[in-house]
Amino acid sequence: MDNFKIEIKNGSINDTVHFHGNIDSHADSHFEELNQKISKKSVVFDFSGAGRINSMGIALLLRSIKSIKTEKQAEISIQGASQINTMLFKMTGIYLLAPEAKR
Amino acid sequence: MIAGLLKKYQRETINMFSLNTPGGIICSPAPPISFSGFPLVHEWPVLSSEDKEEIIGRVERIVEGDGPSHEFLRQRAALMADEMLENALYAAPRDTEGNQIYAKGERRSLVPGEEIVLRCAFDGERLFLEVSDSWGRLSPETVQGFLAINLAHDTSTDRAGRGLYFMWKFMKDFYVNFVPGLKTSVGGYLLLNPDSYEYGAI
Repeated sequence: MDNFKIEIKNGSINDTVHFHGNIDSHADSHFEELNQKISKKSVVFDFSGAGRINSMGIALLLRSIKSIKTEKQAEISIQGASQINTMLFKMTGIYLLAPEAKR
Repeated sequence: MIAGLLKKYQRETINMFSLNTPGGIICSPAPPISFSGFPLVHEWPVLSSEDKEEIIGRVERIVEGDGPSHEFLRQRAALMADEMLENALYAAPRDTEGNQIYAKGERRSLVPGEEIVLRCAFDGERLFLEVSDSWGRLSPETVQGFLAINLAHDTSTDRAGRGLYFMWKFMKDFYVNFVPGLKTSVGGYLLLNPDSYEYGAI
């Protein structure tokens, strides 16, 4: 089932990437174009619309975060993660690469 | 003879995993899981990859109740069922050289003779979850190795066994039951009100 989508809002200070739906192997192709759409040096990944993120989804996120940081020299922060996704991000080191956004 | 072998392994080789003092993973035999106290054990066969989301939905629905504890249990249950079914559908099937037959996310139906079954039960406090497949490929030693490499807490992207690591971390009494070439079962409990959400680390 492919109900996943990524929506990017280019703001004046940062780009906000909104994830909608489950992040798993079906989300793979959506991540391919993400880099090209990033224009700011500050990027926020917003997970408030995201559902389940499985181990494959975690691998996609790690790859995407590393790629944006390296190729765009951008800093990434994370907001809107659910309780379980927050635990997964801590467990897998995602927060080491992209810390929680300051409120 | 195969039935005898199956009985022998089912009786004797439920394996659990824990941390030893230097921080290594140890694998220990444990008695089989008892279903006493569960009013009903559900058993749902998987016939194709298209069944996955429907079965995850059923698992979520047997956790009846409102409030944050029930909602968080449903979230954990859905993730565990997802990882278990992905392993059974895509990681377990191997050719004679040990290569993975199906790519993750690929649509597939089970081949003749292949079986995948999810069992679950909820007694209001404990949710038991188990997925069995008929490949018998996942040895306790392999699981032990996967857990060890995932303990490193670095940010490697394509790390094998990450799903098993999640199961070990989230589930109480996470176990693997293995009959080479015949059956692998992976399971454990999720608690509504656990004293810790990270069992593998304690």
